[in-house]
Amino acid sequence: MAEKTPRKDIKKATNNALELQKIPTTIPGLDDVLHGGLPAGRTTLAIGGPGSGKSILGMQFLYHGAKNDEPGIFVVFEERAEAVRQNALTLGWDLAPLEKAGNLFLYEAHVDPQAVLSGNFTIKGLLTIMEGKVRSLGAKRIVIDAIDILLRLFDDPVRERSELYALHDWLNDHKMTAILTVKDAAGAVIATRYEFLDFMADCVIHFDHRVVDQVPTRRLRVTKYRGSGFFPNECPFIIGGGGVNVIPISGIEMRHKALGAKVSSGLPQLDNLLDGGFRRASSILISGTSGTGKTILANTFAVSACKHGEKVLYINFEESAEAMASCMLSAGIDLRSALQEGKLRIMTAMPESVGSEEHLINNLKAIDEFQPDHVIIDAVSSCKRMGTPRGAYDYIMLMTNACKEKGITTILTNQTEGFQEEHEISGVGISSNIDTVLFLRYIDIGGEVNRVLLVMKARGQKHSNQYREFHITDHGIDITDVYVGEGGVLTGVARQDQEAKEAVEFRRKQLEIEYKEHLITQKKAEMTADIARRHAELAASETEMKSLKLEASLIAGERDSRANMRTDDKVNTLRKTPAPKNKRQDASRKERTQ
Amino acid sequence: MKQSNQPAKTGGSKNYAMLLFVVSDEPNSKQAKDNLKRICDAHSDKRYQNKIIDVVEDFQSALEYNVLVTPTLILIEPPPPVRIFGNLSDTNKVIEALRLTGD
Repeated sequence: MAEKTPRKDIKKATNNALELQKIPTTIPGLDDVLHGGLPAGRTTLAIGGPGSGKSILGMQFLYHGAKNDEPGIFVVFEERAEAVRQNALTLGWDLAPLEKAGNLFLYEAHVDPQAVLSGNFTIKGLLTIMEGKVRSLGAKRIVIDAIDILLRLFDDPVRERSELYALHDWLNDHKMTAILTVKDAAGAVIATRYEFLDFMADCVIHFDHRVVDQVPTRRLRVTKYRGSGFFPNECPFIIGGGGVNVIPISGIEMRHKALGAKVSSGLPQLDNLLDGGFRRASSILISGTSGTGKTILANTFAVSACKHGEKVLYINFEESAEAMASCMLSAGIDLRSALQEGKLRIMTAMPESVGSEEHLINNLKAIDEFQPDHVIIDAVSSCKRMGTPRGAYDYIMLMTNACKEKGITTILTNQTEGFQEEHEISGVGISSNIDTVLFLRYIDIGGEVNRVLLVMKARGQKHSNQYREFHITDHGIDITDVYVGEGGVLTGVARQDQEAKEAVEFRRKQLEIEYKEHLITQKKAEMTADIARRHAELAASETEMKSLKLEASLIAGERDSRANMRTDDKVNTLRKTPAPKNKRQDASRKERTQ
Repeated sequence: MKQSNQPAKTGGSKNYAMLLFVVSDEPNSKQAKDNLKRICDAHSDKRYQNKIIDVVEDFQSALEYNVLVTPTLILIEPPPPVRIFGNLSDTNKVIEALRLTGD
């Protein structure tokens, strides 16, 4: 019972924490990370190196506020206001009208580097300017970019701290929702400064712009949020049109929908193999070497789905939309009507044009806009060209996860170099996220090269385990019967292979047992021989001892008889008393005489 | 708030125009005002046109002159302009910065 009381208190505290008001940043993904947004009326610290995106975050926050008639002030220490306006324009934010409307104020707080320092001073000037502007605009949001420039003036940790206190008090008194950015050029903010900044902020976000395997990547991480939970992991983000885009953590967590109803693959014969077709909201990998017909198979599905009034987003990393469309036409697959009706949308991009995060965000945006029923990614094997294997892996996992959450079917094509790679992309294992694997390959028998297809895996579905031969004709793909090679059904051959392997293994074991048995028999024989030998030795020893004893008694007998010869009869009679001795003496005497 | 810190004595002397930004009741500001007066009095061969501005009362001027810290002394005339941050306690440094030496 005693333990229950503090528990209640904790719960109460959590309830209070829930009451903490938050202002959504409206920055895609970031509000998820912050469990709702920035703490209202409190200070958030954005720490990061130059160009890490912290200032953009600040401007983004003010811009969205200003657009919604929540005025804000941007205090910029390092840049000209005009440069800030220009930069904002490149991100698609036109600040001028907002400034005119009195919803945004850019304060170019220039610290004169030539200024002479003589005696103590405070930042009261800045505070009164902010005060005046906050009052005239009715501002509730403020961004100070970058606070370290101002602090540099003081050149003394104690004074620096007291000025930060003054700033902190001012922000609190005015219930400003503030973002202070701090430069972190040498990898770490000056320790004492950071400690205090960290203390006075309710929320701390670290920004990082690093180069991994020659690919620049951006990460942000929330390290502190007073009175609130937050997502503590590093989150990849990009800076593009619209500013900071954080990879949605909904894609990091698993919120998959159950696999849905069957949807036709576009080929009745393939549907048969799959016991009715693909499952909706599942992910299907079409794997195979170059030219085996992966793209044709994917497009066959796309056209079929579009014909049924469903929408397909085709993300192509391999060739242009025109090239693919004309290529498909020669195989009898006409994409034109699906494209014209807006059922099929083809998105093409060079994998190396941007980083994997940017591809991901672009593609997720397209999914949100287009609301497709199915997404095709052609080919995931190209994704490694986005940069790192890790980036490619994240891209594929996050894409398939996002689609699964939305109930979208994903078809991934994968160009392999060999059988062992059928559902991996150059060491990047994605198989756990794949529900169905179709494997296409060439088969070379009897001087003829044919294409065959195998359903290697189909989660939650009955499926055929046999290779089927298929042909690419000028009217699409034609799947024929079970492929029978020289040694019968190919899967049979594979099984025979396996069985043969097992038989060999069994035989090897048997031989090993036989050999061991043989060894034991030999050991036993050795032991028997050894025992016999030892018996013989023992017997020999015993014999030897017998003869030694005999010799000893003979010697004794002779001595006695010699003694008898010397003594009189009386003595002799007396000595004869112990019968056995005499007997033996008699015997030995007898022996001797004999 | 305007304070003229005394008039011409000799015809060949230069005209000085300065702005001192303060926060009225702050000790640093008081010291700055006193120090400036003392320095000017000691160099009475110049003509001074000094203006003291309380940023709390006139934040627009602070904004206009980009005064982030107080006290800030800005030398307007003769050019080039000079900025001095602080309570002006380092007299020699201030005199040198204001170019009051030499002539």
